[in-house]
Amino acid sequence: MIVKVLYFASAQGLTNLKSESMRLKEGSSVKEMAAEMLRLHPDLKSIEPTVRYSVNFEIADSNSTLRDGDEVAVLPPVAGG
Amino acid sequence: MESVRITRRPIDPSRVLAAVGDEEAGGTVLFVGTIRLRSEKKTVEGLTYEVYREMAKRRMRDIEARVRKRWPVVRITMVHRYGHLKVGDVSVAVAVSCEHRAEAFEACRYAIDTIKGTLPMWKKERFRGGAQAWVKGTPIGT
Repeated sequence: MIVKVLYFASAQGLTNLKSESMRLKEGSSVKEMAAEMLRLHPDLKSIEPTVRYSVNFEIADSNSTLRDGDEVAVLPPVAGG
Repeated sequence: MESVRITRRPIDPSRVLAAVGDEEAGGTVLFVGTIRLRSEKKTVEGLTYEVYREMAKRRMRDIEARVRKRWPVVRITMVHRYGHLKVGDVSVAVAVSCEHRAEAFEACRYAIDTIKGTLPMWKKERFRGGAQAWVKGTPIGT
């Protein structure tokens, strides 16, 4: 299956990507997607402990199961306002 | 004006205030956030805001729903700007009108605090002299 991964702020700077399509095994979890992301972009290891993930615009925990076509966002610590 | 808005264009606080005007309201609170000159003793030229627009908009609608559930709000409007802002520019404005002032203060305070902690937004400080750095931030809340 393929999910769309969006990178923001420092994650975008470290990958030089705004988004990419990521191929994952059917039924992969957010945690497995994160592992694949770190394999593709080892530079993200420095910030990964501080990031959270959203799936289709909702914060997801690491055990959530992904589906084909999901939009996953890599969200570094936020600072709006 | 739509009750929640994320925009690249300058925010006019007087329009945000006018948007919550209502004859049912007896107390209105307007919060305006602006870009500050100093950040930990360094001089700032401006901030660049990045946003995950679709999610941020959903979250602002969710904040509105939570505020309305908790306080008897007559009208509420929240606007957040993104892109390149300079010192003095308005980055965010929240206006709440209620029957009485106490709940208007509380609801407005809750809305801006929740905006800061739960919107997928990031800001990069641009310092005088050319250096830039992402503001440290906090893990996104729910």
